[in-house]
Amino acid sequence: MVILAVVALVGGILYGLSGVEVSAVSLLAQNSDLVLYLLMFLVGISIGMHEGILQKIKQYHIKIFIIPFGIILGSLIGGAVCAPLTGYSLSASTMVASGLGWYSLAGVTIGNLAGAQLGSIAFLSNLMREIFSFFLIPPISRHLNYYTCIAPAAATSEDTTLSMMIRFTDEKTVVLAVFNGIICSAAVPLLISLCNAIF
Amino acid sequence: MDVILVMCAGVLVGSWFFPKKYKKVNERLQVVCTVALIFCMGVTLGRREGFLEELSTLGLQSFLFFLIPSLFSVALVYPLTCRFMNGREKRNKRR
Repeated sequence: MVILAVVALVGGILYGLSGVEVSAVSLLAQNSDLVLYLLMFLVGISIGMHEGILQKIKQYHIKIFIIPFGIILGSLIGGAVCAPLTGYSLSASTMVASGLGWYSLAGVTIGNLAGAQLGSIAFLSNLMREIFSFFLIPPISRHLNYYTCIAPAAATSEDTTLSMMIRFTDEKTVVLAVFNGIICSAAVPLLISLCNAIF
Repeated sequence: MDVILVMCAGVLVGSWFFPKKYKKVNERLQVVCTVALIFCMGVTLGRREGFLEELSTLGLQSFLFFLIPSLFSVALVYPLTCRFMNGREKRNKRR
């Protein structure tokens, strides 16, 4: 799967760079939202086929917030550590890390708040977070645990990286990933504004 | 939000109508969709104006901003889930 993902990503980049227009491929690229919808529908079917999953999730109660809490706190600490390494201010560094993988929103918002260069860094770094999550999920599921697979994916765990979750973890983790994605996505604009205001 | 609604529709179909014998077909289709989605992401990136220039000038800093927050997230989530969610038992032994 990882090899397939690498081939697909590199192939897509090369196709995009080449400027060649193959109508079927262009149609696919223009309608990637529909592919995502189909994927989510299929993932939903897998979850629905797993009996008693919601009862198992309910057993967690407040503990369901542990994963988004760990991801947000870890990302902010990581952003703060990046500040002296990259020469950016604490505010700028934590803002970039607050994107939690949501590259489109982070790139635009931070670009408006702190300039085009930091906006581009926010875009690229959060894009990398999404892309590298595809490749980090398999080894994390083997060497750490299923729940930790959600950590690198952060806000993307409710959509694009969910397919890797369902392949390398279990249905319960997939439901937790969706919940985490909702919390993290809601937190991104708040965190960016807070980091801009506080630090 | 619409993605979540589509997934909920899938959950309903999966729990009420979907025949169990097509479980494998569903899994294979998920792989096809995932690969297609990653390919589309690549195409979007490749078509982005000045993508290679951006990557060469800001790539290292962007990589640090991806890597370190991701590592810290993993470093926090792993012990927390082991302590509070029985995470030690949930490990993939098959693949």
